[in-house]
Amino acid sequence: MADFLSAYSIQSWLESAPQGYLMNTEYGHAPDEKEAPIVLENPTMRAAAIRTTVQLVVGERCALAASSGLINSAPDEASKRFLATQTIDEARHVEVFTQRLYDLGVKKAELEDALKAHANPHLVKFAEVLLEKVDKKDFVAGVVGQNVILEGMAFHVFELMHAGNQSLNPKFGHTLSGVIADERRHVGFGENRIGSLIRENPGKKPEIQAMQRDMSYHMLATFAAAFRDTTERDEMERITRAAEARGEIAKPAQWQGADLRALEPAEMERLLGDTVLKEFKIRLGRIGLEYQTPPGQ
Amino acid sequence: MTSPSHGQDPHRLEPEAFLEEVHSFEFWFQAVSGYLTGRPYGHRAGAGAPLIEPRERERLLTVLANYCVGETAALEGASGLIAFAPNRQAKIFLSTQVVDEGRHLEVLLHRMRDLGVADAEAEVERRANHALVMFKRRLLELVASKDWEAAIFAQNVILEAMEFVVFQTHAKRADPVTREVLEGIVRDERRHIGFGENEIGRRLKQSPHVRPRLGEVRRELDPLVLASFEETLAEAEVPRSERPELGRSYLAAVARLGFE
Repeated sequence: MADFLSAYSIQSWLESAPQGYLMNTEYGHAPDEKEAPIVLENPTMRAAAIRTTVQLVVGERCALAASSGLINSAPDEASKRFLATQTIDEARHVEVFTQRLYDLGVKKAELEDALKAHANPHLVKFAEVLLEKVDKKDFVAGVVGQNVILEGMAFHVFELMHAGNQSLNPKFGHTLSGVIADERRHVGFGENRIGSLIRENPGKKPEIQAMQRDMSYHMLATFAAAFRDTTERDEMERITRAAEARGEIAKPAQWQGADLRALEPAEMERLLGDTVLKEFKIRLGRIGLEYQTPPGQ
Repeated sequence: MTSPSHGQDPHRLEPEAFLEEVHSFEFWFQAVSGYLTGRPYGHRAGAGAPLIEPRERERLLTVLANYCVGETAALEGASGLIAFAPNRQAKIFLSTQVVDEGRHLEVLLHRMRDLGVADAEAEVERRANHALVMFKRRLLELVASKDWEAAIFAQNVILEAMEFVVFQTHAKRADPVTREVLEGIVRDERRHIGFGENEIGRRLKQSPHVRPRLGEVRRELDPLVLASFEETLAEAEVPRSERPELGRSYLAAVARLGFE
């Protein structure tokens, strides 16, 4: 375990993140990059970008509370240090996505109101299920919820968003690529550290699997709500086609082998849900847990 | 990474913008990049690993082990404070403090391993001084009770001021590797104390009734701090004649907030 955890040291983190892929960035992107005009100048797209970014801030606030809250219950000093790096990563994510809301025109004094107005209730419930385990100082359930389920979900959501934004809105694409690099590290820790703890505490399996089922239910409901608004989708298609006609997009946005422009919202929701759940099953299997299907699925 | 205020002196900013700036991740990275780059585990590769006499090594290990106790207290304290910090800026600042404290623990354990300790964690437990362990327990109780003012006061004023004075003094007479490690830590502690003084100072102005409660916390913790001082400074071979002066430096740091 000591060897595996040495890869998650603060020194490794310093060299790979602040002194690596975050060098010469400001809020995760190049200092001179601005939000794309198609987002800032188009009221439909701007409103959609605010709604989406609110969900990111809510998710990252949850991740910040969970990773910092797990430090005191971590069973060894090396895990505490890894969680310290995760805590600052999550704080950075809160900061960069909050800054994006400001860039999109949300006033500082109105930030909390905007979060309250747009936060998806299922995402809030998703966070509550996880934070209940953290509050009870349940390290094993907390790390499965945080580093396998929450981070596993976030990783794919960010990848999908990155695919859709990298050509049309490079500033946000760059912000997302740094966040994705962080999440990859977090997911790796969860899988590597928790397998042995679950083997040592087999009695915890049913409770953790129930948590996974509840979190998966709220996650899928969040996805369903996110893809329900087709106004944005129609506007996005119009903008993308115009950009293609002007030769501004070399190739259509692809994710998981699918042409994102060709997908209907329901198909995109299914693709995201299936991709996340498929990964959940693999990752949970690696740590000795069996995926539980949420009710109604 | 560049500063969001684009090089503007943060002290020229309006109070709210100042806090937004100095409590941000971006500001943290600006601050640490200068003294952490090219110093894996807190020191330059060429800092020179001196030969240390066995007796001196033993003393140094005891001192480092107790520093680890203090840093673990700070890591667990700062991380616990995030949950009930009153605003986003404070949460983000505390997250930077969490990684600072985690780094301090890591570099100190690394230094113990450099000195030939196979199981550094076990060594920390074996050499931990009683007063410091009691201090840690009390600090974490204050954090667990979600008493923001008392916990920040104990963590970012009392504990950080104690560490600042001890590390700074020890660095002056330490071997070159230990000195570089400690100097890096001291630079972080300065930021943490700044946050604590600023936060408590503003709270005291807004709610003067908090002062007597913090005075009680201080009266309870001072004897533990001074007892830890005595033991650690003796192990670090700080002459007995200098120790009262260091105790006074610590008391002066706390007194700046009006706690006599």
